[in-house]
Amino acid sequence: MINKTFTKDMRETWMYGILGFLVFLLVWQAACVFTNFGKIFPTPKVSLAAFLQAFVEPIGRHTLLGHISISLRRVLIGYTLSSITGIIIGLLMGYSKLAHAIIYPIFCIIRPIPGIAWIPLAILWIGIGEPTIHFIIFMGGFSQMVMNTMDGAQHVDTELVGVAKVLGAKENQIFRKIVLPSSIPYIFTGLQTSLSTSWMAVLAAEMITAREGAGWLIIAGMQTGRIENNVIGMIAIGLVGLILATLLRNAERRLCRWTVRSR
Amino acid sequence: MPNEKVVVQNLTKSYGDLLVLDDISFSVKESEFFVIVGPTGCGKTTFLNSLTKIIDINNGSILLDGEAVDPRKQNLAYILQEYSALPWLNVEQNIAYGLKIKGYEKSVIEERVEEAIKMVNLENYRHYYPSELSASMLQRVVIARAFATKPDLLLMDEPYGQLDLNLKYKLEDELLSLWQQTGTTVIFITHNIEEAVYLSDRILVMTNKPTKVKTELINDLPRPRNVASRQFVELRNEVTDLIKWW
Repeated sequence: MINKTFTKDMRETWMYGILGFLVFLLVWQAACVFTNFGKIFPTPKVSLAAFLQAFVEPIGRHTLLGHISISLRRVLIGYTLSSITGIIIGLLMGYSKLAHAIIYPIFCIIRPIPGIAWIPLAILWIGIGEPTIHFIIFMGGFSQMVMNTMDGAQHVDTELVGVAKVLGAKENQIFRKIVLPSSIPYIFTGLQTSLSTSWMAVLAAEMITAREGAGWLIIAGMQTGRIENNVIGMIAIGLVGLILATLLRNAERRLCRWTVRSR
Repeated sequence: MPNEKVVVQNLTKSYGDLLVLDDISFSVKESEFFVIVGPTGCGKTTFLNSLTKIIDINNGSILLDGEAVDPRKQNLAYILQEYSALPWLNVEQNIAYGLKIKGYEKSVIEERVEEAIKMVNLENYRHYYPSELSASMLQRVVIARAFATKPDLLLMDEPYGQLDLNLKYKLEDELLSLWQQTGTTVIFITHNIEEAVYLSDRILVMTNKPTKVKTELINDLPRPRNVASRQFVELRNEVTDLIKWW
């Protein structure tokens, strides 16, 4: 059975992680104190103070928590839609040669276009507003999701399919009981990558089309010359991204208990 | 005299211009342990895949109990050289897999899984995943999965090819014991002549590509067999001479 105990290796990994973080803070502090970097960038202490203050004092219309929850909601809507669509299209293209032949050429054209490149067209088609931001996030995460899921469905062990066929499995049973579970680790890789690109896309979209959110915080900080706001926005983005990625990894551990990677 | 369980007639398979199986005919009796031997790469796996309809044949017929073989209608099981336990299912779920595909009721599945898990001595590992099992345990899981379905025909493609000698001998004995308990008809493919002589009731010797039937040998050595006995060595040498293509 899978060993769930907090092993010595895990303790060491955590310790090294914390150590690396402390070294990073020290280098940051030293750069601010001993070089001209301090004139254009706040120290860790000032940044942390501004970060905590932002939970109480609003920046623009909202406190930091408000801005984060607005960005988070946008990401979750766009990301959920792109994940569901990406998984369906990826499975279709990976499993059915016909679907692959029809969809893949169009997908190959869309795939290299980054999510933010869709901003002008999105504004033109949908106008400035929430649906535009959702669309940009959708386009940001979609390709990664499709690619990874398709990869999973294409790399199903043919021996396992053969065994299932000999046992009398029908096409839908082969899909549900072999192709789908085989693809799950790949789907999770897609979900992780797509989550990062969705965050990138929301920030880009908010910088251009929004009046609130973590991305807006960064651009507002730049426009008002308050560099702390930039740092606050960046820390918030980093922390929320870390929390989401951790939640996703935990979900993967629960759903893919069989993979050596998640042990 | 037991009935003919499997009848293969004029089986031919080619890939483009490359003829792999050339007009193969033979039959297997009910509850027989039938072993096919041939040089490595002679097309034994192609032959088994044709038999199970994993690949299409160009010509000929394969009958199981008098009907054209069809895995969706008949009860077949297939054990490969590669460990084909499903990585995302634990031991219990892997054994239940074939039964679920065949649509058995939950109570029957539970009963059969329990029976099979005991047959292969994996009671203490029922919740383990394949990545946590040894090579011999993995192959036992697959054997249990096959026997749990009580197949009309069990096909085995060099199932012990990747195991070391000790494990191989142990699992061969376990397999013989299960076969004797259940009376399952087995078609077993190997390039290991000693294994063929040790396990078989009858041996079909195949030629190198394009694969044809060279001859059939009845193996009536008494069981359990002694690999060092004079009769065993004589039969092994006879098969070795037949298999030589150089």
